[in-house]
Amino acid sequence: MSDSQRLNRNEQPPRRKLPFAIISSAALAAMLALSACGTEAQAPAEAAQTAPAAADAEASAGTPAPAAEAPAAESDDAATAAVREGAQKMKDETSKFQEALTAKDDAKVKQLSGSINDLWLSYENTVRDQFPLLYTEVEKYEMPIFSASAYDKMDYASLTDNAGKLQGALDNLLTAKQTSAAASEVLAQAVDGYETYVREQTDLFVKETQVFADAVKAGDIEAAKAAYPTSRTYYENIEPIAESLGDLDPKIDARLPDVESEEQWTGFHRIERALWEDGSLEGQGKYADLLMTDVKALQAKVSELKLEPEAMVAGAMELLNEAATSKITGEEETYSHTDLVDLAANVEGSKAVYFAMIPALNDGHQELADQLDKQFQTMETTLAQYNKDGQYTLYTDLKTEQIRELSDQLSQLSELMSQTAKIL
Amino acid sequence: MNNGDDTVKRSTEEPGAKKGYTRREMLKMSAAAGGGIALGASGLGAIMKMLGTTEAPPASSGGGAASASAANERLDFYGEHQAGIVTPQQTYMYLVGFKVTAPDRKTLVGLLRDWTRFCDLSTGGSSAVEAGGRLLPPSDSGESVDLPAARLSITFGFGPSFFSQDGQDRFGISAKAPKYLQDIPRMPKDRIDESLSGGDICIQVCAEDQQVAFHAARNLIRLSAFTASVLWMQEGFISSPPGSTPRNLFGFKDGTANSLHDSSAGYDDVVWCGDDEPSWMRGGSYLAYRKIRMLLEVWDRSSLKDQEDTFGRHKDSGAAYGRSGEFDAVSPAELPADSHVRLAKQDGAQMHRRAYSYTGGIDARTGNVDAGLLFLSYQRNPDKQFVPMLRLMSRMDKLNEYTAHIASSLFACPGGWKPGEYVGQRLLEG
Repeated sequence: MSDSQRLNRNEQPPRRKLPFAIISSAALAAMLALSACGTEAQAPAEAAQTAPAAADAEASAGTPAPAAEAPAAESDDAATAAVREGAQKMKDETSKFQEALTAKDDAKVKQLSGSINDLWLSYENTVRDQFPLLYTEVEKYEMPIFSASAYDKMDYASLTDNAGKLQGALDNLLTAKQTSAAASEVLAQAVDGYETYVREQTDLFVKETQVFADAVKAGDIEAAKAAYPTSRTYYENIEPIAESLGDLDPKIDARLPDVESEEQWTGFHRIERALWEDGSLEGQGKYADLLMTDVKALQAKVSELKLEPEAMVAGAMELLNEAATSKITGEEETYSHTDLVDLAANVEGSKAVYFAMIPALNDGHQELADQLDKQFQTMETTLAQYNKDGQYTLYTDLKTEQIRELSDQLSQLSELMSQTAKIL
Repeated sequence: MNNGDDTVKRSTEEPGAKKGYTRREMLKMSAAAGGGIALGASGLGAIMKMLGTTEAPPASSGGGAASASAANERLDFYGEHQAGIVTPQQTYMYLVGFKVTAPDRKTLVGLLRDWTRFCDLSTGGSSAVEAGGRLLPPSDSGESVDLPAARLSITFGFGPSFFSQDGQDRFGISAKAPKYLQDIPRMPKDRIDESLSGGDICIQVCAEDQQVAFHAARNLIRLSAFTASVLWMQEGFISSPPGSTPRNLFGFKDGTANSLHDSSAGYDDVVWCGDDEPSWMRGGSYLAYRKIRMLLEVWDRSSLKDQEDTFGRHKDSGAAYGRSGEFDAVSPAELPADSHVRLAKQDGAQMHRRAYSYTGGIDARTGNVDAGLLFLSYQRNPDKQFVPMLRLMSRMDKLNEYTAHIASSLFACPGGWKPGEYVGQRLLEG
């Protein structure tokens, strides 16, 4: 990509980024622990050398640094300077945000979460181009912070945690240096990053499923109902991986029509029926135990997971296909009607693949990356409309036109995702 | 932008497309590319011709009746008028309605260019197959690759909402709206299902081979993924020996009166819009569409006399009451007062009929077959030539005992395309 193109990206009007669902942001917060520090960040000591950009924090964020500050007039240098400038401004804003958190000032917290997001939008494209791994790092802490602005109830503990981590990610960005990696290396990195994500999601899945299983065994219907969508989110994030690992998926996730006879039916949906249709957990303890056995078996397999790039890319497609077939039709959650939770999780899971692929996409497929970025935002914006304080609207409360809109947007996302095989 | 240079540039973009073009034209029609490729149809056509890849038989501008060689015949996508209007009816049809979701005109134009490119290739008997590698989805669904052009025609029309929707001029074209384009008013006895009606854009796809027709409809839908949302799709069929008027599912000849204007002057009088329309609409026509369910079981239990009284014609010969030949001039006084043909003659207006039959499944409650007529008529002034007759028929027609109108739309079909121009270009840029 040419220099002027790269700089022009800064001039794109900021995209409107809407709050992410809490469930999604939980998944995102567990996103790729891409080893950002090792590959792209310089030692803090070197940060001093880059002080000019940071010191000039009064300049408006998002515009390339003036030529005077990039004497070599190298566009990469200019872009890097712009990134540092943006990172510094965002750090300052985040500090104010942290003060507001300490003061428990709801109004101020909301206002600052918005302005942090505005700052991020003003230069995130440049970050994605220049430092793709750090991009996902910032994004995963920035998003839950911005999500908070839409909610009535503030979760101060998690916001404080995220703000601290965002500061760390921004520190890395401040000292970031261009690296150039061979294509095969980039792809290997992408797969590594995604494998880490899958393992983290699986661990969370086991943890949350335990909460669910305990509630089922205790006969606590309300607690079990509350834990059900949460635990399923983590499964739906990584579903194609689970499906590729032996016969665990049907044991964990089969619906009644999927099995030959009802006697063979185990897993989440069996208990779902007991919870929402029978209104009784009588006799469900054994299914809860079986579920935990299967879920832990999955975890053991995932810990040894070694993915090929093809499988990773195909997995992102499968997630969207899942969403576009069983979720959008309301067939997945026949009794609880929490299909949107699964759908959002499928989208989230495919976004994780997208994030992992950004470095590879940056190598000659930037237009596709831009389109995917935009389409994920569109999809998330639409999904956010159906999310109130972390709870998704029930499928049965959606109007036909609303389902159609989601379906159309999913089709568009799938269409784009199907092109990502170009990186292979 | 419509030049060969763009084509070459594109072809080097895709590693697989460097080997040169074959009849299975390598062309990226991936919707992911959106409107980014400004390749004009003429540029592509030029390249194909240059490489000697257009081996299809010469295009016919219509006129010849369906024949044994029809499957190989190629209809020209370009011309003074759009193909598929006065073109002798092909055996199969798909009619597809779209809602444009594009936020702006630029995106819309991107879709129209993609569609134009697809139409250019497919009506010429080529496929838009791109070698993108085994890991990418094929750019074309491929079911027509080994099949000939099969007189494929693809005809575009624009609905009232395309020009103005809830008072909004989404694409900056409301000032150029055609004179008579508005929703067909509600008629007595209407049973209109809104989900089967209307739309910003309508595409009529016709071919002698159903697979060729469906391939086009399917890929046009696929190309629209980022710009439009498909609202409804209907499929129809009609068959008759070459040169004969086809029969509808009631067993009666349908479209006999088309013979009355079967001349260049006749089409100018009846079908083609003239100087009183915006320039893009000249040489175009209005498509009136009604989906009419036919109560086949009731009809089949009616006596031959009742059936013939309903139309005012003899079933076998097609001759009007009191006449002996199908095309003999009708003498209205000799026909039952509420018969279909008498009412048509009483109204006096002429239109160009291009109807197809349809069948669906079975109504599980009654065991009745869901079937009927996709009534399509083209005319230059629907206010005069269509709506009054529909109103009269809706009130009086004896046929109403056996039918129900369940979908209704009016579309403005622009004049024909010039090579190198995209569909609707003169409307959007003129």
